[in-house]
Amino acid sequence: MADKARSPLTAAQSELVSAPLQGKIWLEGIAGGGKTSVGVARVVTLLGQGVPAESILIFVPQRSLAQPYIAALRGWTAHRGGQVSVQTIGSLSLQMVETFWFLISGDAGFKRPQDLPNFLSLELAQYFMTRAIEPLVDERDYFNSVRIDRPRLYSQIVDNMNKAALVGFPISEIGSRLKSALASGVEQAHIFDDAQTCALAFRKYCLTHNLLDFSLQLEVFRDHVWAVQPARAYLRGRFKHLIVDGVEEDNPASHFLIHELLQSCESALIIYDRDAGFRRFLGADPDSARRLRDKCERKATLDETFVMEEAVAALGAGLGAQLGLSVKAEWDVDPAPALITEAHRYHPAMVDWVARQVETLVRERDVSPNDIVIVAPFMSDALRFGLADRLTQRGIPLRSHRPSRALRDEPAARTLLTLARLAHPHWNMPPTDFDIVFALMAAIKDLDLVRAKLLTEMLYRNGRLLPFAEMRSTAMQERITFDIGERYDRLAAWIDRYIDRDRGDAIDIFFRRLYGALLSRAGFGFHDDVDAGNTAQNLVDSARGFRWSLDFMSRYDEQIDLSQDYVKMVDRGVIANFYLRDWIADAEEGLLIAPAYTFLLNNRAVDYQFWLNIGSEGWSRRLYQPLTHPYVLSRGWPPGILWTEEDERSLSRETLGRLLLALTRRCRKAVYLGYSELSESGYEQRGLLLETIQSMLRRAAREGPNV
Amino acid sequence: MSLSPDFAFTQGSLQDFADCARRFELRFIRRMRYPALETQEPLQFEKRMRQGARFHKLVQQHLLGVPAEALTASLADDAELAGWWRNYLARGLSGLPAQRFSEITLQTHLAGRRLVAKYDLLALEPGGPAIIVDWKTGARVPSQSHLRARMQTIVYRYVLAQAGAHLYGGESIPPERIRMDYVYVAQGAERLSFAYSAAQMGEDEAQLSAMIAAIDGAEAFPLTNEERRCRFCSYRTLCDRGGAGRLEDFDLDEYADDEEDEAFMLDFDQIAEIEF
Ligand code: SF4
Repeated sequence: MADKARSPLTAAQSELVSAPLQGKIWLEGIAGGGKTSVGVARVVTLLGQGVPAESILIFVPQRSLAQPYIAALRGWTAHRGGQVSVQTIGSLSLQMVETFWFLISGDAGFKRPQDLPNFLSLELAQYFMTRAIEPLVDERDYFNSVRIDRPRLYSQIVDNMNKAALVGFPISEIGSRLKSALASGVEQAHIFDDAQTCALAFRKYCLTHNLLDFSLQLEVFRDHVWAVQPARAYLRGRFKHLIVDGVEEDNPASHFLIHELLQSCESALIIYDRDAGFRRFLGADPDSARRLRDKCERKATLDETFVMEEAVAALGAGLGAQLGLSVKAEWDVDPAPALITEAHRYHPAMVDWVARQVETLVRERDVSPNDIVIVAPFMSDALRFGLADRLTQRGIPLRSHRPSRALRDEPAARTLLTLARLAHPHWNMPPTDFDIVFALMAAIKDLDLVRAKLLTEMLYRNGRLLPFAEMRSTAMQERITFDIGERYDRLAAWIDRYIDRDRGDAIDIFFRRLYGALLSRAGFGFHDDVDAGNTAQNLVDSARGFRWSLDFMSRYDEQIDLSQDYVKMVDRGVIANFYLRDWIADAEEGLLIAPAYTFLLNNRAVDYQFWLNIGSEGWSRRLYQPLTHPYVLSRGWPPGILWTEEDERSLSRETLGRLLLALTRRCRKAVYLGYSELSESGYEQRGLLLETIQSMLRRAAREGPNV
Repeated sequence: MSLSPDFAFTQGSLQDFADCARRFELRFIRRMRYPALETQEPLQFEKRMRQGARFHKLVQQHLLGVPAEALTASLADDAELAGWWRNYLARGLSGLPAQRFSEITLQTHLAGRRLVAKYDLLALEPGGPAIIVDWKTGARVPSQSHLRARMQTIVYRYVLAQAGAHLYGGESIPPERIRMDYVYVAQGAERLSFAYSAAQMGEDEAQLSAMIAAIDGAEAFPLTNEERRCRFCSYRTLCDRGGAGRLEDFDLDEYADDEEDEAFMLDFDQIAEIEF
């Protein structure tokens, strides 16, 4: 964990940091034991000893886990030399496939091996999935009994293919694995058959069109790139020193690569967090990771926590034990002092209580807001807003980490999309009045809702913005103000001119033109606005990526109206519907509000944690995903074995147990439990977390001598 | 608002400061993205940029062991790029030392800051020459004096002298051994070379330190007085500095886009971040 990076190291840590340059170390232990601090210090030591930076590879399952390393390397301004490489399996495999493409494209089965590869972002994979399989789905009435929307269905097919590649089984086995474990009836079996057919159809489409979704990229990397000599020689020749952190959160495809590199590297430090693996739903496989242990000559353990006070440790162990994890519960230590709670009937009362408690901690007990986190299994906009509002009123600085909102829901993006429809009447997709009101407010500085509504009611006719002068009533014009009227006219005239000139710009160029010519100018809504600029740029990037991919397809004789198709796909939630790749951090400092797993994957400890909605089933229950299953498609699940209700129950318990253990190991002083009888949406709630806490406290009272 | 303490200076960011302090502030301090069009011919501009990027990738693939024939066969769709490629194959590598590192990044420190250079190609022979090669795909070859004054020429040579020892048998590279070659592949791989010396390094160090100190100490970042510098700047509407320039007046080779940071230059994590 990052916390200890700046503190002096213990003797055990120092000894590992300065271990001889040759040799491979397996370092395991509990979270909070200072393993990442060893990793960070080891990198700096390697560089200090003259190891070329280019020969060091820091390999992590997810970008956020590399932050302590990146921060340390950036902060070490005295370094002279090359640069350390920080990679995930996704980034490394993409670079390798792209570089060695012309050596492997034919053997890998691509129909046009002399053409460039076209790597698909997640949203483009969804888009091409839609193109490739939708006719099939419609024609054969696939998935007719599944009640979720098409984009979510398709994303589960993409997910199945990714799981196959990460775990290492052929995509042709997806259906049979799911069926043999989960199909309880004919209907269910059909659904899995359909999912299998769609996966194969999509793969065929990709091979025909030189498209590489993530699953194909990984397969090509493992089965083809790794097999050619220059590629293997390059990786083996380059990376002589490995630092692998969070290996238990990584997948078998990563483990394969690490295993291969271990054979040629001079030194390695592999860091394994015991009791973690909470990223299983994304393909993490701690058991597969553990097999790398045998490849290391030295095994070390750091199990002494630097983080938790005794009562918090007892709380984590007690909850873990209650849920059946094999952790040693410390019943002789009372966990109660580490738990603070108050029951509420209604949800808003609970949120008030949380805000008051935070205020007390900060104002009366001098706790830094940086040392407080508020987590929930899901962080709805309403909950986030409710918390942010109350805390801001109390002067508490905060930052909110969550996968950011879908791009299409960002105000600047919505505005650009609405104006694009206005400017392309031949699409026959006129914006609604509601969209126009919203777009006018965002586009024209200082235009409020009331006046935007008036403008829309009086001047938006048949998909066109009429001139301000068409507003017959002078009183009304005065109410809106002539200043705003003048800017409204400039916007309307710009769109009219664009239509008249019939430019037929690519949609991303249209966005840029409109942004530069109007929206970013003084008096308009995007002027000098960093957020609007960033969102507009993200939308431009998304639309350009779409155009480039489809331009590329045009050589294969598939002609479509790119701009219109882009906007349609946005509407359907296929494009610009994914979370942006970067986490949104409103500020660097302050109390953190985040979904529980997001907090964990930031891997830092705090003094106080608030767990909200503890009655919610969301703490333990998997998302509803009828077409896929993270466990049945994992390496550890033997094909042919039935997944039962009991498996589901014990999975819920284990998942929750690991989550709670991981949370408490990142907590120094106490956990506040936010509980209300009625949920945010007004339902009674009594999920597994609540039940577990109550049983644990009863058991602690029974078995603990001091309780 | 000030520059982040771990900011890494590059030739691109320093050139921005040299051209317009305001642009530096907007890009690197306020980190403001401003997607206005750079030129009046956006699609042609984009095509040029993509061709340039593809050429750089081809060279990298070649230097990492992909046979030239396989790469040549992939260029049937772009006669112009194929011409650059032929020029590269004929003369691009001639006379260069055998130890070659393509797409390599080095960093040193100066005035309490990191200074980073991302090279297209370094060709070195321990004890012998240390040559920096930068591929240029633009349509014209600028004057020697213009290039000499560019921050790229100053930063690249300086950083190699300071940070290249590990590529040079562990010994510091004597400045006199360093040479920077700009190779114009669209112009028959014409080469413009810049030698280096200890005296030049001293001057460069003084200039770079002064610039970094000026940036760190700046209280204001004024708009450039030379409005011609605004023609291809995307912040024009923010600064109220006229319309986009024409592509024919634009030197693509000076369009620096090397500001990616060291880690995750290609972050392509395909697993959706989901709220659990
Ligand atoms: S438009 Fe001109 S003044 Fe404004 S940032 Fe760009 S170069 Fe500087």
